[in-house]
Amino acid sequence: MQQMKRLLDIYVALQALFALSWCFSDGEPGPVAGSQSNGDRFKIEGRASVPGVKTQDWISTALILVEGEEYVGFLKTDGSFAVNDVPSGSYVVEIVSSSFRFDPIRVDITSKGKMRARLVNYIKTSEVIRQPYPLQIRSSGPHTYFMKRETWGWTDFLMNPMVMMMVLPLLIIVLLPKVVNTNDPEMRKEMEQSMNMLNPNPELPDVSEFMTKLFSKGSSKSGGGNKGSRSVALKRR
Amino acid sequence: MAWLVVRLAISVSLLYAASAVFEDQVGKFDWRQQFIGKVRFALFDTHSQASKKLLVATDKNVFASLNSRTGDLFWRHVDKTGPEGHIDALLMYGQDAVVVVGNGRLLRSWETTVGGLKWETVLDTGSFQAAALVGVQDLVKYVAVLKKSAISLHDLSSGSQIWGENLPDSDSVQYQTIYSGENGLVFVLGIVPNSHIVIVEYKIEDGEIMNKKSVEAAWMSSLESSCAVVSSGILLCVDQITQSLYTLPLQSAEQTEMRQIHLQMLDLEVASGFRPVLTSTQPNPAQPPLSEFFLQLSPDHHILLQFKDGLIALLRDFSPSYLAAFATSGERTVAAVMSPKNDTACSINLFSADTGRKHLDTTIIYHMDPNGGKPNRLYVHAFLKKDDSVGYRVMVQTEDLTLTFLQQPGRVVWMREEALADVVTMEMVDLPFTGTQAELEGEFGKKAAIQDGLLPMVLKRLSSQFILLQAWLAHLWKLFYDARKPRSSVKHEVTIDILSRDEFNLQKMMLMVTASGKLFGIDSKSGTILWKQYLENIQPNSVFKLIVQRTTAHFPHPPQCTLLIKNKDTGLGSLYVFNPIFGKKSQISVPTLPRPVLQTLLLPVIDQDYAKVLLLIDDQYKVTAFPSTKNVLQQLQDTASSIFFYLVDSSQGKLSGFRLRKDLSTELIWEVVIPTEVQKIVAVKGKRANEHVHSQGRVMGDRSVLYKYLNPNLLAVITESTDTHQERSFVGIFLIDGVTGRIVHEAVQRKARGPVHFVHSENWVVYVYWNSKFRRNEFSVLELFEGAELYNSTVFSSLDRPHAPQVLQQSYIFPAPINTLEATLTEKGITSRHLLVGLPSGNILSLPKMFLDPRRPELVSEQSREENLIPYAPEMPIREEWFINYNQTVSRVRGIYTAPSGLESTCLVVAYGLDIYQTRVFPSKQFDVLKDDYDYILISSVLFGLFFATMISKRLAEVKLLNRAWR
Repeated sequence: MQQMKRLLDIYVALQALFALSWCFSDGEPGPVAGSQSNGDRFKIEGRASVPGVKTQDWISTALILVEGEEYVGFLKTDGSFAVNDVPSGSYVVEIVSSSFRFDPIRVDITSKGKMRARLVNYIKTSEVIRQPYPLQIRSSGPHTYFMKRETWGWTDFLMNPMVMMMVLPLLIIVLLPKVVNTNDPEMRKEMEQSMNMLNPNPELPDVSEFMTKLFSKGSSKSGGGNKGSRSVALKRR
Repeated sequence: MAWLVVRLAISVSLLYAASAVFEDQVGKFDWRQQFIGKVRFALFDTHSQASKKLLVATDKNVFASLNSRTGDLFWRHVDKTGPEGHIDALLMYGQDAVVVVGNGRLLRSWETTVGGLKWETVLDTGSFQAAALVGVQDLVKYVAVLKKSAISLHDLSSGSQIWGENLPDSDSVQYQTIYSGENGLVFVLGIVPNSHIVIVEYKIEDGEIMNKKSVEAAWMSSLESSCAVVSSGILLCVDQITQSLYTLPLQSAEQTEMRQIHLQMLDLEVASGFRPVLTSTQPNPAQPPLSEFFLQLSPDHHILLQFKDGLIALLRDFSPSYLAAFATSGERTVAAVMSPKNDTACSINLFSADTGRKHLDTTIIYHMDPNGGKPNRLYVHAFLKKDDSVGYRVMVQTEDLTLTFLQQPGRVVWMREEALADVVTMEMVDLPFTGTQAELEGEFGKKAAIQDGLLPMVLKRLSSQFILLQAWLAHLWKLFYDARKPRSSVKHEVTIDILSRDEFNLQKMMLMVTASGKLFGIDSKSGTILWKQYLENIQPNSVFKLIVQRTTAHFPHPPQCTLLIKNKDTGLGSLYVFNPIFGKKSQISVPTLPRPVLQTLLLPVIDQDYAKVLLLIDDQYKVTAFPSTKNVLQQLQDTASSIFFYLVDSSQGKLSGFRLRKDLSTELIWEVVIPTEVQKIVAVKGKRANEHVHSQGRVMGDRSVLYKYLNPNLLAVITESTDTHQERSFVGIFLIDGVTGRIVHEAVQRKARGPVHFVHSENWVVYVYWNSKFRRNEFSVLELFEGAELYNSTVFSSLDRPHAPQVLQQSYIFPAPINTLEATLTEKGITSRHLLVGLPSGNILSLPKMFLDPRRPELVSEQSREENLIPYAPEMPIREEWFINYNQTVSRVRGIYTAPSGLESTCLVVAYGLDIYQTRVFPSKQFDVLKDDYDYILISSVLFGLFFATMISKRLAEVKLLNRAWR
């Protein structure tokens, strides 16, 4: 517990350090959205693809959104796109499609029109992990909008802890007498010895003792062959 | 290790909080309707006979392809709102559609079958004037775009510019139209108003100016509205003052004056005050226009004329006629004319364009909606039938933005209510009881019943039970009857008469008010429009407020809704009172509002007819009550001292509170001034009146209770700084008590700017702003608590609250832009709350309020785990399973409306924008009904199995006992 607390402290300290480092590093790289040079408008270009799907099957429902709905672009029949008339700044470019998922990309445009694409990181906003420009956006697959229904299966039922707790003792009761030959007097002696060792107070009636008695009773009555079925029948009753 | 714990805790909490859609629930209780807006351009694909495409461009900056047989969308492209996405022109040739967007900024060519962009070119700046397809030797190869001072020609297959030329004298001449017929020339027509026309000829190949001339036309003020080109390059203009037509061959070098033809010579006259309109047609851009044209002389008078050898001949006079349009199929051009038939119907007939002869058996009867507007646009789709005669279908657009597609002899193929693309405000009203249900209810409600005595009451109960039994049997019979029929033939038509409240009050009436002034009543279960009412003479800049004065709960009295329509500029308002179930205007006398209305207030006070009282405050702080019966006035006098209201004047940054006096005048109690030099008030929101809070406090980990500060009078005021510089801008929030004017709390978010979206509910305010330093959206949540003890647990009074509440605040990063924000609402407020976030992608995210809890700890402790608090994480998760509308995205979502249903677990949600989407959400899952996937088979098989097992074992036991006894 002590160790965990220490770890937590370290974690917090680290986080604080991180926060500090973001503060320091912020503002250095990347142009600033607020300062726009008038007149100069640029074009964000790229290409989007969905592996295994023809472009004409998905482009009619897709749209390129730059910083929300600030600038809008459409996809060409070959999957390429261009968003025109974008002033310099830093933007999140996102391909919106109701059937396929695309990861957003941040595009920085300097006042001279130099372009740079990087991964979107909202926490460390100045971190630069370069991405190719013109943008190459590949879909990471169809959207998973739906939850899976919980289906009922035998494995689920059997793996349920409650069921396991019920079934295992039953198995022990049924199988143990078969594995261990309780008719052997040596064996019985050994068992009794181990029971006594486990049980510090011999006066107290014990579950295991009771069980051994039960077994011996059963075995004395009839042969070992139909012991299993008998005990099950007993249980049923 | 610690991180692992945090992770684990998050994932566990996610499991708990998840409220998602299952795949088998698709379409079960949700629906979406997609709209396009007011059609500005519509073109039928006449490329092939079998084509069903109808291309439309609308004022909502939507370019779409409709299936002309069903009215469904093939595809739809929604551009940016505002002038930058405005569609200026739509031209079509073959499979491609060329669109000019953003005042001539972009030229786009669309592949119409797939719905993908073929090419896009950026044009030079300059305001757009006209665009035309240009053909060379019967082949259309280019598109010409005319700007204020330049013309450019672009290749149709690639979009590349062939040439671009500056127009001569563009500072004095207004170039307005473009014409290209044959012989390799492009004519650009300009005008110097009330002076002369300028005609410039360009060579198609290289843009060389071939000829330039100016023609005297002192009477003309605008080329675009009064001229057309007919026949082989004849400019035809009409002037209402001289009552004459003017003609000019564009190409001839010798004629330098327009030839005047008096309308009197044709026995025609322009109606006074009406600006005549010329309509010509050019079926093939590579060939000259037809020599026939329409001249509209008055709103209901069209004439088909023909220009031949310098003379104008009258082909046919259509009087009266509302609308006229040309259509071409193959080589044949026809004209369709709509004329009034009687008060409720119009007839549309087809005439051959070259002779004016009427085609036989081509009448289409168009029935006008008595609650709708007049038809104002006619689009004709002509096609050749097998016997080589011309058949046609028409699309009629009305003032109230209804699109009706008709075919002979007047069958409505489909209908679209495009007014719904611009929903302004909405409400949901419970459906009324059916007759039988009402009968049962009435048994308990009436006072007379008590006086009746025992026996009549028993009889009454028996009779109503019998009626119920009868209704149930009828229902069963109908089910049986329907089951025998094949599935497709069973029609699920919904009409008002059969609508009634269901067991759980899940089906409601949606009242929608649209910007065009059309009201709709929509069934929330199916999306069927049950009634519609077009309010005429609504100014385009009106604001609406919809108030439900009486619900359906007061049975003999009909429900009553009031719509306040207010002119934004003058502030003058009017009231429209109607029955929300049937849409009929109510006969109740409505107070006239001579002065601008500043504020409305719906009081819980009810009159003898169970209608809630609406107070309207005018700019002299005088109060008008509606209804204003004696009973109401008496009640108002009694309760006047406890009626408070507030006014917001954002231009002066002033919030002021008033109290009602007994004589319905008001007195100022408090005033808060937020200096406008520094910040301006953007929004003020109170809490929703129909909101219930179930628990007064929160149980903490140490079993103590933290009581919520539940002030029903609390107002959340959002301000934005006037300084928009990135470093100095800020967003402020004030929590002000609406009765006393006390500022309960204020907070400032530095380096932030709007747009701010916020929700104010229970004891919390959630707001979203743009962090301009880190360029991201951030959520901030404020929660107010009284502390460990309640000051006065029975009644909340703003006047007696000595202790200031404890305020907790926390902020989070939201990794997406936001369009709108709303919170779920349930009947009793037991269900946990979710926030519904409308995203620009069209998805609606259901975000558990649990994630926006200012008590989320940074370090996990035993107590916080006990309380089920999620450890703090700076970034809010967005999971696709939380999108309640899966792939049914809502374009440009503008508002989300939530309403409680009869089931505590269920909240009804309507998201509206360009589309409308209705669904139900279960923030705490469906805890009060059996789940959809409840396994009846498993349960019953287990039960039966156990039953049989006991039977068999019993039998076996008996046998065994017997055997033992025998032994």
